[in-house]
Amino acid sequence: MNLRTASETLSFIRELEEMAAKFYEDLAGRFPENETDFLAYAKENRKYNKQIQMAYQSVITDAIEGCYAFDLESDNYTFETDLPESASLAEAAAKALAIEGKILDCYTVGAEQSGSLLADVPRNFKIVLRKRNDRLEKLKSLA
Amino acid sequence: MAVLDEPIKGVPMAKNFIDGEWVESKGEIIDVVNPATYETIGKVGISTKEEIDSAVQAAQAAFHDWRRTPAVARCRYLFRFRELLEENFEEVSRVQTQEHGKCIDESRGETRRGIENVEVSCGIPTLMMGDSSEDIASGIDEYLIRQPLGPFGVIGPFNFPFMIPLWSAPYAVATGNTVIIKPSSEVPFSQTKITELAEEAGFPPGVWNMVHGGRTVVGGMLDHPDIQGITFVGSTPVMRDVIYPGCGKTGKRCIAQGGAANILVIMPDCNVDATIPGLMTSFFGNAGQRCLAGQTLVIVGDDDAFYNEFVEKVTDRAKNIRVGYGLDESVQMGPVRDAQKKESILNYIETGMKEGATLKLDGRKAKEIIGDYPDTCYLGPTIMENVSREMRIVREEIFGPTMGIIRTKTLDDAIEICNESPYHNGHAIFTSNGKAARQFQYDCISGNIGINIGIVAPMAFFPFSGMAGSFLGVLHTQGKEAIRFFTESKVCIHRWL
Repeated sequence: MNLRTASETLSFIRELEEMAAKFYEDLAGRFPENETDFLAYAKENRKYNKQIQMAYQSVITDAIEGCYAFDLESDNYTFETDLPESASLAEAAAKALAIEGKILDCYTVGAEQSGSLLADVPRNFKIVLRKRNDRLEKLKSLA
Repeated sequence: MAVLDEPIKGVPMAKNFIDGEWVESKGEIIDVVNPATYETIGKVGISTKEEIDSAVQAAQAAFHDWRRTPAVARCRYLFRFRELLEENFEEVSRVQTQEHGKCIDESRGETRRGIENVEVSCGIPTLMMGDSSEDIASGIDEYLIRQPLGPFGVIGPFNFPFMIPLWSAPYAVATGNTVIIKPSSEVPFSQTKITELAEEAGFPPGVWNMVHGGRTVVGGMLDHPDIQGITFVGSTPVMRDVIYPGCGKTGKRCIAQGGAANILVIMPDCNVDATIPGLMTSFFGNAGQRCLAGQTLVIVGDDDAFYNEFVEKVTDRAKNIRVGYGLDESVQMGPVRDAQKKESILNYIETGMKEGATLKLDGRKAKEIIGDYPDTCYLGPTIMENVSREMRIVREEIFGPTMGIIRTKTLDDAIEICNESPYHNGHAIFTSNGKAARQFQYDCISGNIGINIGIVAPMAFFPFSGMAGSFLGVLHTQGKEAIRFFTESKVCIHRWL
């Protein structure tokens, strides 16, 4: 599906972050030795959702091109969170990296498209991208 | 994408709020229709002269104590009000979409703009401060204080049912006046929700009043000797023929904001890709129903290749705009407010064609409406070429999703077209040349000037300006000018012997 408006794009991103948060909560149950990290990722995802929602609600005005800010193909960024019961920690981390890759791509392209149109929203996309670096390093070390 | 939940349920009655009480109007009851679905979503009364008189009486009675409430205490009511608006941000935004038809992104934008005015008015202890001079003559001091005047009337339009009354009302009550709001009876529920929140914020009875209705209420406000001033946003004929002379007759203060037919100038050096989304928002956002919407696009220069490529890109983007119910998050353009307004827009398109314009994009019938809704109020974006400056589609306000394109050789010609317009609200230029931008800003007669901005909507701490056919009065709504409007300057000179 082609996403154009700020409202539908942010709803889509919220869904991605929430799906990933649930995925990490599942991993926390499966791999108790990494529970702290995985629960922290889930919490961060929800924090990012709030941060971006706040940026959107703070900056959205009728002088800004909210209905014309994006041109994203949602199919490029959707992901499955299913993981076989027998999956090892390395396999789980690899899956998490794949999910993170989709989310990062979505933020990156979204930030480029809305860069001159939505002010604080693309800026916050970039902040979220930056904040995920530590997580990516940790997941790579597990994979 | 799913359609978001509708907040207005069960065909409620929009009641008046007078002296802290919710009362049903004794006047004729009319339906409120959602233009997107064409369903009746509520009812509203067309209030009588007695009802507006009773609201003025309440506002006048409340004024005595309210003006004596210290500014720091008054602003605490506004802080509470602001918090409640923020807590109800999503609901009030959806109410706007449901009763007006605009897209949810646009409604949220309107909510934010409205709240910003409440935020600015929270600074009233500082904003209302006067001036002083010691020793204007030896041993004599002089100072100025700002005092409130009494009840004010706030008359709102249909196109921004939430935001526009908030350009005035928070400043009026912050400065110690009382207020009576008359929303457009087409869209009464946004102000009803705001007033519920004002009640919850605890404003004393009679400080914040709301009376629904039409001409009788407006006439009642204009004629009433206790109303100290009126702020009005609506059409130019009503502004010019009713509001402004009506205020003059009874010596009221007046801010009267009328219509517009804004012109956006494209220079060949503009950043095309960044410009086009701005044009979509300006011409087709809010289905063209705003006084800062672009109506005419003037493309400068004799480079045919640039012109053709630019127009193709604009047309391509416009023809793919998704039209439908604004509570569907994927929709980019909602319906116009009612069938009569749609008819008026269609008539303008016909007039343009009769006068020689040609249709580049025909939006007289929406190509596709997302969702299963009757097309009663829907239009698609329309683009007309071969438009010339004397045509009615340039000189009169269309208030719909149309773009007429004119070509000129020079920027001077483009500015002349802007200055010939009977309206001077929000003209804009798109360019990467600072000299051209400055010339436009300097020479173009317009209350608000956009440079690479399609909708020149001033923030709450700036006045919402406007000139000539778009405005009558001296001071404007919003910010410091609103504080001046809602207060009398009293000068005191002291000598102690």
